[in-house]
Amino acid sequence: MRASRRLLASTDEEAVVAPGNRRWSLRRRLTVALSGFGGLAIITLTVAPLLGPTPIGLGRVFDTSIPFADNVDAQIFFIARLPRALAGALVGASLAVAGVVFQALLRNPLATPFTLGVSAGASLGAMLVITLGVPVAVSGIPAVPIASLLGSLGAAGVVYSMATLRHRGLSTTVLLLAGVTLNSFFSAIIMFVQYSADFTQTFQTVRWLMGNLDVSGFQPIVAALPLTGAAFAMFATLPRALNLLTLGSDSAAARGVDVLRTQRVAFLSASLATGAAVSLSGPIGFIGIVIPHLVRLIVGADHRVVMPASACLGAAFLVGCDVVARTIMAPFELPVGVITALTGGPFFLWLLVRRQ
Amino acid sequence: MDSLRSGAVRSLECELLQAANVSFAYKRHLVLREVSFDLAPGGVLGILGPNGSGKTTLLRLLGGLLRPTAGRIALDGCDLGNIAKATLAQRMAMVPQETHLAFDYSVLEIALMGRYPHLRSFEVEGPEDIELARAALAETDTAMLEQRAFMTLSGGEKQRVVIASALAQFGRRVADSGHRPVEVLLLDEPTASLDLGYQLDVASTLRRLNRDRSTSMVISTHDLNFAASVCDRVVLLRQGRVLAAGPIRDVLRPDTVRALYDVEATVEQHAMTGHMTVVPWARRATTAPNTHEER
Amino acid sequence: MTQRFAWFILVAWLSLVDVLHTQTPQRIVSVIPAVTEILFAIGAGPQVVGVGSHDQFPPEITDLPRIGGLIDPDVEAIIALRPDLVVPYATQGDLVTQLERAGIPLFAYTHGTLRDVLTTIRQLGKRTGHATEAAAVARGIEDDLAAIAGAVSGRRRPPTLLVIAREPYSLRNLVASGGSGFQHDMLALAGGHNVLNGATSRAVQVTTEILLQTAPEVVLEVRAEETLSASEIKKEIATWQFLPSLPAVRNSRVIFLTGSDLVIPGPRIAQAIARFALALHPDAPLPTQ
Repeated sequence: MRASRRLLASTDEEAVVAPGNRRWSLRRRLTVALSGFGGLAIITLTVAPLLGPTPIGLGRVFDTSIPFADNVDAQIFFIARLPRALAGALVGASLAVAGVVFQALLRNPLATPFTLGVSAGASLGAMLVITLGVPVAVSGIPAVPIASLLGSLGAAGVVYSMATLRHRGLSTTVLLLAGVTLNSFFSAIIMFVQYSADFTQTFQTVRWLMGNLDVSGFQPIVAALPLTGAAFAMFATLPRALNLLTLGSDSAAARGVDVLRTQRVAFLSASLATGAAVSLSGPIGFIGIVIPHLVRLIVGADHRVVMPASACLGAAFLVGCDVVARTIMAPFELPVGVITALTGGPFFLWLLVRRQ
Repeated sequence: MDSLRSGAVRSLECELLQAANVSFAYKRHLVLREVSFDLAPGGVLGILGPNGSGKTTLLRLLGGLLRPTAGRIALDGCDLGNIAKATLAQRMAMVPQETHLAFDYSVLEIALMGRYPHLRSFEVEGPEDIELARAALAETDTAMLEQRAFMTLSGGEKQRVVIASALAQFGRRVADSGHRPVEVLLLDEPTASLDLGYQLDVASTLRRLNRDRSTSMVISTHDLNFAASVCDRVVLLRQGRVLAAGPIRDVLRPDTVRALYDVEATVEQHAMTGHMTVVPWARRATTAPNTHEER
Repeated sequence: MTQRFAWFILVAWLSLVDVLHTQTPQRIVSVIPAVTEILFAIGAGPQVVGVGSHDQFPPEITDLPRIGGLIDPDVEAIIALRPDLVVPYATQGDLVTQLERAGIPLFAYTHGTLRDVLTTIRQLGKRTGHATEAAAVARGIEDDLAAIAGAVSGRRRPPTLLVIAREPYSLRNLVASGGSGFQHDMLALAGGHNVLNGATSRAVQVTTEILLQTAPEVVLEVRAEETLSASEIKKEIATWQFLPSLPAVRNSRVIFLTGSDLVIPGPRIAQAIARFALALHPDAPLPTQ
């Protein structure tokens, strides 16, 4: 928090000093960043289920003398709001860290979790199920999330094999080009599917593409958790190697980094996290690019701080945006992607202008 | 070829880094053909040649980033392929021609990245590592830039910071056992994108490192005068082949310069510095045009 | 002088257009399913030369040329049919502009309330030269509606959620009828109390929280597709088990109805309302159809 105030107050003279680096101590910076951003995430997560279009009494929510079936307050808290806040935290954290990892992997600050076609694949999968009405539900998990997950992993597989096919190692240029091409290719198929669908289905697909955190219960979160967990376990091995990758792959390799292995793990984990997040909530934009940059402006570029801080801020940001989305026009709600873009975009631009 | 002693046995005085009949091809395109030379401890070897002669590829081979298609590269008699990445990185460091960061780190953070091969997974740089990184910055006269953002530095400052980061790879903690091993710095066109003043800065930094730390170096460059001011031995490379190799005073002659660059040049000793200087004065008709760009 | 002459030309032209307009159209193009159904119900079927691509009813339209739908009307195909009356939907602004430019007479249509359906039937009757038949059709529907209203009168009106669409096999992105529009009127006439009465829009995106808070005793789901198999419908009803505490789920009053009559505000609307009423009040003395 103190770091952020200093950033905002920075003068031209201070602007050349990399933020968060007066006295170099990673542990101290990590502690400050995590207590700041982590605290923010915890506060948001605690407050979010208490807010909503319907006033609920906390006393009634935890009153065990009323049967759950008759306790609408408890139902709203435990079925509608708490899962929703947790889904927001999971998706926000996943997309923010995936954004960090894709940006480091491609050495491109404009990369997002959706740059490499992962979300387009997920969208195509969801579209096909919605319009064709495939009656699949694997062990209680509805067809749409499964199809979108398969779509995202399929897209990641295609992009990855393109980038490794005719190259020594992994070509990030081909990765980027293949991803962007696949994105527009899938978008074309999505448009075709939407065009041939009937009106109600088209509305449903458009609504899915706007993103939605209303998961109605813990079950979808539990279903996504193993994949997200695996992705975050892989994320944990990456930060230091990603620092070195930003110098360039030759410089990283000369310092003893296993570049190819790092690139593989980075691509796989970020794709997995993105796929799981998109299958849970639909594609929610802006988090994957705004949060990483915001965090870097405050804590500096070291991935060992940026990654956990982005996870916390991403979670807090999306949960907060979702509270706004479902209360600002209550009882109706806005698509949460509208709020993330409307709040994140201008704030990010303001920060950029302030820094120059 | 004079410096190649085939079947040489390992000894402490010579052949710190040895390339024997090294060939390399990207796909089917042969970039290097049977290149041989060696580097003595404390030596500074220049690899000279026009653009596209295979200098950068040779340097990447020496750094262990590529494997030779044929032939052998050995560090202290040990095949590069058999040395663990981290161990190799503690003894040999690379400085690329230019460093563009995707994200902005501070100068100290860049120097600390050199400590990577010394850290276990999940280990955080300790006070000792920070001291070693600061010492490395001091060695390249960049200690006062410690807090600056790397992207705001001038070209010459950037190059010296990257050299410091490379030196930090060699730094040894107190707890590290054994004697200080000989270290090798590989520099790819270290002055190619710098103006004259910064070129002099970098050259004097390199000379001082060689003198004070007896850091061994392999420097690829197309700038003969820069090579003459820093290197004691050179290898002349043209289209992937060695034209000549040996002490710089023997090798740098009007006929070798003509063969290397297709120019007529005067080669003489500079009155003030004592270095050889090359003044090109006429273009000679090209005998074999350069057909490909250097990678 | 020239000004007066111009006025004369304009007035003459306008009256000519008026005469052309009031002539009985012989080549009608209908873009929307509801209008197509009305035209055939009031005896204007033989005058119809083109219908919308998604129109399915009545069976007589099978061989008629198709001219696109709500979001993708084919202007060229429409003009090629040389129509003397086109009935587009109010939101088809581009289509309306192009047809006006081509000088083709139009009849403005938009989905409205249940009462608007009857008005539209009578207006289309007058416009197509079938005023008497149209009046009879409208009166028939009014009689049916009165009979249904009578049958369910005095009964308790169960709080009902009328679901129009949602993600397959999931309760996400659920859309239900709000407190206006013909579907809301259908539910009210069939003896149900729309839990989303307070919403002014016709269709409402319903969140889990609103579902729980409004606590509907009956969930009535309508789908146009008649292709859904019995097992698929069973699975879709089972999807509601995600919210076991919802009164409608606890009392097993999730009802799934399919058929295009349920979503098209045309002459079959009384029949659709009767199906609603039967679902809500199985024991009511409804007139058998």
